[in-house]
Amino acid sequence: MAILETQALTKSFGALAAVNGVSLAVEAGSLHSIIGPNGAGKTTLFNLLTGTFPPSAGRILYDGRDITGTPASRVAHLGLARSYQRTSVFPAFSLLENVWIAAFATGASWRGLMWRDAARYPEVAERARQALADVGLDGKAHSPAREISHGEQRQLELAIALAAAPRVLLLDEPAAGLSPEETRRMVALVRALKGRYTIVLIEHKMDIIMSVSDRISVMHFGSLIAEGTPAEIQKNPEVRRAYLGGVAA
Amino acid sequence: MTRPTALLVAAVLVLPFIVRPVLATEIWIFAIFGLGLNLLLGYTGMLSFGQSTFFGSAAYVAGYLLKHTAINIFAALGIGIGVGALSALLVGYLCVQRSGIYFIMLTFALNQLFYFVAYQWTTVTGGEDGMPGIPRPVLAGIDFKDPLAYYAFVSLLFLAALWAMRRIVESPLGRILQAIRENPVRAEAVGYHVPRFKLLAFVIGGAFSGLAGVLYAMLFGIVPLEAISFVFSGNVVFATLIGGSGSLYGPIIGSFVFIWLSESVSTLWARWPLLLGVAFVIVVLFLRGGLVEAWARFWTWRSSKPRR
Amino acid sequence: MLYALMGLGLALIAGILNIPNFAHGALFAVGAYLTVSAINAVGNFWIALLVAPLGVALLGVAIEYAGVRRLYAAGHDYQLLFTFGLSLIIAEGIILIWGPVGISQLPPPILRGGVDLGFTFYPKYRLFVMVVAGLLVFGTWLFLEKTRYGAIMRAGIENREMVSLLGIDIHKLFTAAFALGAYLAGIAGALTAPIRGLSPGMGVDMLGIAFVVVALGGMGNLLGAIAAGLLIGVAQAVVAAYWTEASVAVIYLVMAAVLVIRPQGLFGIR
Repeated sequence: MAILETQALTKSFGALAAVNGVSLAVEAGSLHSIIGPNGAGKTTLFNLLTGTFPPSAGRILYDGRDITGTPASRVAHLGLARSYQRTSVFPAFSLLENVWIAAFATGASWRGLMWRDAARYPEVAERARQALADVGLDGKAHSPAREISHGEQRQLELAIALAAAPRVLLLDEPAAGLSPEETRRMVALVRALKGRYTIVLIEHKMDIIMSVSDRISVMHFGSLIAEGTPAEIQKNPEVRRAYLGGVAA
Repeated sequence: MTRPTALLVAAVLVLPFIVRPVLATEIWIFAIFGLGLNLLLGYTGMLSFGQSTFFGSAAYVAGYLLKHTAINIFAALGIGIGVGALSALLVGYLCVQRSGIYFIMLTFALNQLFYFVAYQWTTVTGGEDGMPGIPRPVLAGIDFKDPLAYYAFVSLLFLAALWAMRRIVESPLGRILQAIRENPVRAEAVGYHVPRFKLLAFVIGGAFSGLAGVLYAMLFGIVPLEAISFVFSGNVVFATLIGGSGSLYGPIIGSFVFIWLSESVSTLWARWPLLLGVAFVIVVLFLRGGLVEAWARFWTWRSSKPRR
Repeated sequence: MLYALMGLGLALIAGILNIPNFAHGALFAVGAYLTVSAINAVGNFWIALLVAPLGVALLGVAIEYAGVRRLYAAGHDYQLLFTFGLSLIIAEGIILIWGPVGISQLPPPILRGGVDLGFTFYPKYRLFVMVVAGLLVFGTWLFLEKTRYGAIMRAGIENREMVSLLGIDIHKLFTAAFALGAYLAGIAGALTAPIRGLSPGMGVDMLGIAFVVVALGGMGNLLGAIAAGLLIGVAQAVVAAYWTEASVAVIYLVMAAVLVIRPQGLFGIR
C-alpha cells in the first residue's frame, strides 16, 4: 500500500518547471530513493511534499488522503518529518533542546503550553532522548548545537526529524559533506532505521543508494525519467545518459 | 526561592527608603513594561518599536473609566490588561506576517497612528495636555493615595508579573518562541505555525504593557501624550537592551538604570535626550549584551585573573 | 511630492543597506536648518539650496562610516537603536544650535506670491517645490534605471551577496546609497523650509510619514515608494481641505487599511 503518493505533481517558477508532472508512489515501510543530477528538482520535490510551498498542479496523497496544499506546520503533524540538505538546526539550543522542540510539536497534547515547566513533560523528554540515542549523540545532549562538528550536526539534523516520531522520513542528502568514516556511520544509521519508518532518501553517493534502497526514482530536469529496483536502474540506459552524457552531477 | 528572586524581593523592600516612593514605583512599572517587550525582543527575536501603543491605549481607556465611572482598582487592572492585549492583537495581526526591518517599521508606523489619534481626539484624551485627574480607587479600606501604599501594591504586582513571565519563558511556549528566533523556517517545519505564535507573543507582551500603562496612569494621576509616543517605545527598548535582552532579569536592571538616570538628569539639563541618544549610541557600539552580559563577562574576567 | 522624495530616500537606504533609518527624519530637519543658516550666511536662496543638501549628504557619509558600517553584522535591533539614538542627538543638537523656537523662512523674492491657475490661486513657491522635487525624483529614477551605477544599486537591493561576489566594493556602495538617501532627505528639508517653517519636531513627523510611504509602496520597491509618496501627498491634501485635524491620522489609517487588504503594500513583491 502506497503511504505517500504524488500524481502529476508540478511546480513552476515563472517559465521554469522545477518539478514537472512527477508521479510516484512510496510503499509503506520501504526505503525509496530519489536520485538525479544537480538541479533535477529533488529538493523542490521534498519542499512540495512537506508543504513548504504549494504545487502549481498535481496532487499529493498521504495514507490515501489528499494533502495537497497543506502548509508545512500542519504536515509535520500528519507524520511526515524531514531533514535538510543544508543543516538547519537551532544554534543557541543544546542538542537535547533541539530535539525536544521537535518532539513536543507532535506530542500527544499541548496542555500547559504557557505555564507548565518544560522539564515536566516526561513523554516528550523520553522521545527526545531516544532520538538523540538513535543517532548516537546522547553523550553530548547538553552541548550547544553551534559547538558540535559538522558531522555531528548532520546527525542532529536527522535526530530532529526522528524526534517527531513520524511515519515517513524525508532525508535530503544526510551524508552531505561527511568524511568517508562519517558517511559509513550515517549509512549504518539509515539502514538501522529501515523498517521502523518509511524513508524517502535523496542522495548523491551512488554506493549508498544502491546498497540501501528498495526502489529508486530518477529525476532529470524536473521530470521522472526512470523508476525501479537498484538493479534495474543500474542497467537503465536513460539513467546512464542523464548522469554521464547530460549535465554532470 | 532562587537567588535573583530573593535579591529582587529585597530590592522591593528596601527601595522606597533609598529613593522617593514615586520614583521607586515608576521603576517597577517600567520593569513590567520591559518584561513584556523582552518576550518579543529577547526571546522571540522581534523588535517591536511600538510597545507604547498598548501601554498608552490601556492607560487612556482605563484612565477614562477610572475618571468617569466608579470602577474598582482590580477592574481597572483587568481593563488595562485587556486593552493592552486587544490592541496588541490588532497591531500584531498586521505586523507578524513581516519580519526584519519591515516588521520594525510597521510597528513604528502603527504606533504613530495611535499617537495621532490620541493627539487629535482631544475631547477624550485631552490631546497634548493629556488626561488628568485619574484617581486611585480605595480597596478594602486601603487608601492608595498614600505613596507608600501604592508602592506596595505596584511592587506586589511586579513580583506577580515577574512570576508569570518566568512561568511563560520556562514553559514550552518559551522554548517555541526561542526556536522561532533561532530558526523560523525549521520551527515551522517541525510543526509550529510561526505567525500565530508570534501573534501570541505579541498579545502577551501587549498585556504586560497594558498592565504597566494602567499602573502608570494611576501613579501620576495623568496620562500624558508621551505615553503613547514612539519616544516612549524607544525608551523601553533602550532600557531592555541596556539591561540585556538575553535574560529574564535584564529588563528589570535596565528599568532601574533608565528611570533613575532619566529622572536625575532631566532635572539638570533640558536637553537630556541628547545624552540619552549618546547613551544609545554607546551601548549599541560597545555594550551589546547589555549590563547583564557585561556583568557576567566581568566576573569571568575577574575569576580568570591569576592570584597574586 | 516631497513625500515621494522622502520615501524614495528611505526606501533606498532600507533596501540596499537593509536598515531602518530612524534618523531619516532628523536628516530632513538638518537639511531645513542648514538651508536657513546658509541663507543667512550667504544671503542667496539658490546657493543655500545647492549647498545645504550636500552638507546633509556629508553627514550621511559620516554616519554611515562611523556607525552604521560597524553594525551590519550586529543585526537590525542595533542598527535601529543607533539611528534612533542619532535622531535624538540630532534633534537635541538642532535645539542647541538653533534654539527651540520655530523659525520661519520666506521663499526667495521671485518665488513669492501666487500664480493664477484659473480655478484657484496657487502659491508660486509650492509650484516650484513640486517641479523641483518632481525633477529630483525623476532624476533619481533615471539614475537608478539607466545608469550603470544605478543598476548596481538596484542589484544591491535584490541580492547583496551577488553584488559583492561580482567584485563591486560593497562598502562603497553602501556609503553611496546612504549618502544619496541622506541627500534626498536633506533637499526635501531644504525645500520645505519656506512652506511650513521650521521647528525641532519636524523631523519626527516627517519620519513617520516616510515610513508609511515605504510600507505602503511595498517594501523594497523604489518605484512603489515614489508612487506611494505621491498618493499620500495627494490624499492628505484632499483630506486637509475637508477635515484638517484628521489629515495626519488619516495617512496612517489608510496605510493600516491597505496593509490589511494587501500585506505586501500596493506595489510590493515580497
